[in-house]
Parts: sequence; structure tokens; C-alpha cells
Amino acid sequence: MSDIYERLATGILEGEAEKITKLVNRGLKKGLSAKELLDNGLIVGMDEVGVRFKRGDMFVPEVLMSADSMAAGMTILRPILIESGAEMLGKIVMGTVKGDLHDIGKNLVSMMCEGAGFEIVNLGFNVDPETFIEAIKEHQPAIVGMSAMLTTTMRAMGHTIKALEEAGLRDQVKVMVGGAPVDKEFSDAIGSDGYGSNAPSGAELAKQLVSAA
Amino acid sequence: MTTSNGLPIVVIACKVFQGLLEELMPEGMAEQITFLDYGLHSVPDKLNWTVQDAIDSIENPSLVMLAYGMCGNGLKDIKSGQHTLLIPRTDDCIAILLGSYKKYIAEFYATPGSYYLTKGWLESGSNPLVEYEELIEKYGEKSATWIMDQQYQNYERLVFVAHNAQDLEKYRPQAQEVAEYCKRWDFRYEEIRGSDIYIRRLIEVAMALDKKDDEFVVVPPGGKTTLDMFLR
Repeated sequence: MSDIYERLATGILEGEAEKITKLVNRGLKKGLSAKELLDNGLIVGMDEVGVRFKRGDMFVPEVLMSADSMAAGMTILRPILIESGAEMLGKIVMGTVKGDLHDIGKNLVSMMCEGAGFEIVNLGFNVDPETFIEAIKEHQPAIVGMSAMLTTTMRAMGHTIKALEEAGLRDQVKVMVGGAPVDKEFSDAIGSDGYGSNAPSGAELAKQLVSAA
Repeated sequence: MTTSNGLPIVVIACKVFQGLLEELMPEGMAEQITFLDYGLHSVPDKLNWTVQDAIDSIENPSLVMLAYGMCGNGLKDIKSGQHTLLIPRTDDCIAILLGSYKKYIAEFYATPGSYYLTKGWLESGSNPLVEYEELIEKYGEKSATWIMDQQYQNYERLVFVAHNAQDLEKYRPQAQEVAEYCKRWDFRYEEIRGSDIYIRRLIEVAMALDKKDDEFVVVPPGGKTTLDMFLR
């Protein structure tokens, strides 16, 4: 059985969406659970993608192909996970902050969080603080996730947290941040509850944030 | 030539500034000039190691003029060692090429989704059209198109920054060719005249550190760069 997990992980790394679809279906037929296929196969592959991207051994096109194959797997697994009554961890309102149009990373984190059992409200990109505030009021999420790809726009994450404070909403949500220029030091400085260095670690962080709540 | 406090000047610069620096630096100003590869910023860690290695390999205590911005945090945690570092206090090369941080921020927030082209970036082949052609070779047309769409569909504008009329004329056809391709995402094409004020100031401050203002970061020996130094 370990063989199929390995092949799933490799399929993700190599960005082979069709192969992932076949393997996931085969795994399910053999009686493996959706959660096992996800945790031991797809996520293991994405973890490695995160490591290689950071190291410069993998570039955006390859990561996109990996994300696409992850999405292919999730398309099959998501309805099964929901139907099986897998533990739902709550909602995350997710957006790329004002002035920033980079949404590849944010969408990838969203997908990983979905795999971890969260419901995602994706606000898209260039999201101003007011839109975050409205979405929190409407959806009552456990977590707000913000992304920025530029040092120019990462400041907007701090501005958004301030806006949440002023709206009296900061205490009712956890805030997590991420994106290429973001690090722990910056995350602490703006008063976020945590920072994820890549998509899988973003999902791990989200789980920690709700279990600590 | 040395700085006003007697240190020899060493220049480490991104290749994107090569033309401007060679034109504007007084002869004999720098003991040593190193131009580093254009594309390093796409892996900020690699940019960081490369710049750090270049600094560490300078033998005598020097004033190291770094023609870089924060560049996606690539310039974060750079250790000065025995040297003094001088760096423009800006996010990336665009502010330097436009002439000021203020101009950059004005452009940025007027149209956040701007993709900038410059002479240097065109020469290095770092633009969406070349990227697309390379992707086709590697992945075939269908995947290449999909990958490009994922990366660029949110942008709105292609801006060619030229520093003089000759560059504008010479590189315009190439810029327009890129613009034609970018029409698939409804990019509009604009031309902006760049300014060499920021680079001139950098050179001036390198030769006389007491002329430094808050447009620059100076790291004394034994220090390191932090994000805080750049944010404003």
C-alpha cells in the first residue's frame, strides 16, 4: 500500500494531474480512505514542493503544475471528505491584500487548508481592509488569512490588522499571514497570530490556530 | 578614489543598472565593480547568498555600494562584516529606475497590476513573451498558455520605462511586441520616462557618506540589514 502513497507524492511533485486522478481513484477502489490518500500521498508531495521551491530547485511553472495535480486529486476527494463527516475545522476568510495581485500562493494555501478540513471563503486579490471586515461580519470565520508577494504590499497586512482592531473584530478571529517576503519577525511585528512559510505549513498553522483557540 | 572617510569604494549591482552606472559613475570611482545576474530575485534566498558571497570576498575594509532594493527580502540579513554598506532604501529596482520611492508608490497605487519593462530587462530576455516561448519548449503550447494565464491574468498594464529618447526608440519595437502578446490579458501599454536622480544620488552618497538622507540605508561594520531599515 505504501507504494501508492509514494506514487501519489511523486505525481504531485512532477505535476501529473491525470496520473493523480487515476491513482486516487485506484486507491479508493482498494479501500483506502480519502483522508489517508490525502495525508500520506498528496500532502507529502506538496510538502516536498514547498521545500524545493524555497531552495530554488523548483520554479513557479512547476509549482503551478503541482498545484493543478493537487487540485485534480482534491476534486475527487473533497466530496468524499465532506460526506464522510470528517471533522470540519471552521471557516477561513482568505485574501491577497490591497495593492497586490498575486494569488497563486494564496489559492494554493486555500486548497491545502481545504484539504485539512476548513471551509474557505476566498476574497480574491487586491482586497482592501473594509472587504475583509465585511467578510468577517458575514461569514464569522475562525481565521483570517492574508497574503502579500511584495515588500511594497506586505505593509497592507499590518494596516488590515489595525482596521480589524478598530472595527472591534480582532479578538474574534485568528490572523495568519504568508507570502514570499513575509517572515516570523514581520508577522510578530504586525501582531498576526502566525506565519506560514509555504502552503503546507500554512495549513498546519491553521490547524494549530483553531486547536489553540 | 575613496569615500570622504578614506574607504575604497566597491560596487555590487544588479545587471539591470549596468548601463546607468557605467554612464554615471565618475572614472576611477570604484576599486572594483561586480554586476550580478538579473534573475536572482526570483529566488530571494539565492540573491541573498550571491550578494553575501560578493561582499565577503572583498579583501580590504570598503564602502560597499549595493545597487539593489529589498528585492523580495533578498537583501535582508546581509552582513556587513568588515565593510560599510550603502543601499537605496526601496523595495526594488523600479523605484530606482523611476527616480524616487515617491514616484514608485504613486505609480504603484494608481495601477497596482503593472508589469515593468526596461532596457535591462528587455536585454536579459526577462519578459512575458520570452517566458512564454521558453515554456512552450518545455511543456508544449497548451500547458505554457495555462501557466502564463495563471501568472499574469490579474495584471492590467505593461509599462516601458526608458531613460532617454534613444533607448525609447531603440527598444520600443521590442516592448511593443511584448505588449501585443500581453493583449491576451487586456494589458494596456504605456511608456514612462525614467529618471537617473536616484542612481546619481547613490553615487554621490557613496563618495560622501555625510550626504546621506533617509532615501538610503547605511550599515556600519559588524551590522546587518533588516526589513525595518527599508520599510517606510
